[in-house]
Amino acid sequence: MRVKVSYRGQELDLELGEKTSRARDVLRALGLSREYAFVVRDDEVLEENEPIREGDYLRVINAISGGYI
Amino acid sequence: MRKCQRCGQKAVVYLPQHRLSLCKEHYIDWYLKRVESTIREFRMFDRGDKALVAVSGGKDSLSLWDALYRLGYNADGFYINLGIDEYSQKSKIACEKFAQEKGLSLHILELKKEIASIPEIREVERNRPACSSCGLLKRYYMNKFAKERGYKVIATGHNLDDESATLLSNVLSWNMDYLARQFPVLSEGDGFVKKVKPLVKFTEKENALYAFLSGIEYIEEECPFSEGASSIEYKKILAQMEERSPGTKLRFYMDFLRRLHPILQSQEVKLRPCRICGEPTTAEVCSVCRLKERVIPKLLSSSPSS
Repeated sequence: MRVKVSYRGQELDLELGEKTSRARDVLRALGLSREYAFVVRDDEVLEENEPIREGDYLRVINAISGGYI
Repeated sequence: MRKCQRCGQKAVVYLPQHRLSLCKEHYIDWYLKRVESTIREFRMFDRGDKALVAVSGGKDSLSLWDALYRLGYNADGFYINLGIDEYSQKSKIACEKFAQEKGLSLHILELKKEIASIPEIREVERNRPACSSCGLLKRYYMNKFAKERGYKVIATGHNLDDESATLLSNVLSWNMDYLARQFPVLSEGDGFVKKVKPLVKFTEKENALYAFLSGIEYIEEECPFSEGASSIEYKKILAQMEERSPGTKLRFYMDFLRRLHPILQSQEVKLRPCRICGEPTTAEVCSVCRLKERVIPKLLSSSPSS
């Protein structure tokens, strides 16, 4: 299953494998943790178990930010 | 499908550390109540107090300002233009737009007019990380401005991830003095305005979710000088632990405040007014005035003569 993802100013094509994919699989494919990132579709936040559909256009928001301690 | 535990509608947010599923409306309601209860728990300020919110245009500070506004607090915004090219331009616009839409008052301080922009300071202070000068200047001008304009309290958007990463770093080096000063409220006195952190019980993700669900247009991009910042590494390590054991960060930080902080004593420091600017300092001349003495002559000598 392929989806398009907008992430930090980039447009990415993601291959999620053949089985049913969920929002958490999109985060996993980008190497992000559910602890600091989430998926948005059609301006709606997707709860992590929400199924993803072929051809979905998704936005991923990564909330982690840093500075020197 | 998870359902909102308040109304039974479809949930959009699941918070493992609170074992809570919520719809958009009830998430916003939960967030606002938690901001209010944090302000009360640590006796931060009252609705009658004039508060100044330090805003950067990011998710944390704009969520804080929005929550204080919705909860009926008397809070104006304070933005420092650091002069970091496109990043600063975008963040300034985000703050101005937010203030305009809500009809709130925003004060803007141009760092270039006070001393120099962060990129200029970075050029002169090559052996010091930009974040270090930047943090020093932000704290200095926040305090000075709040005092001059009669604000009773300064509120910042520090979140649970910032605080737990700082705590981990301070524990790893057993920095007792920093540990003693790590608290969500720093009281006023000796020339300092009271400082509070009403978002210390919220993760960065919870703040980003609040900002997104409330339609706040914040800037997602990071400061270009923060690349490779040490706090990200600590945050990622804590995120791994949190994934396996939800609630770890909140317990780590809150139990520090409850159990260890009360028995820590900060070293007595003798503060006096800076000979040049009058702001509190331990030395004869404060760090910002010394920075000015180093930076301004160099910038003047390197600028093309007209």
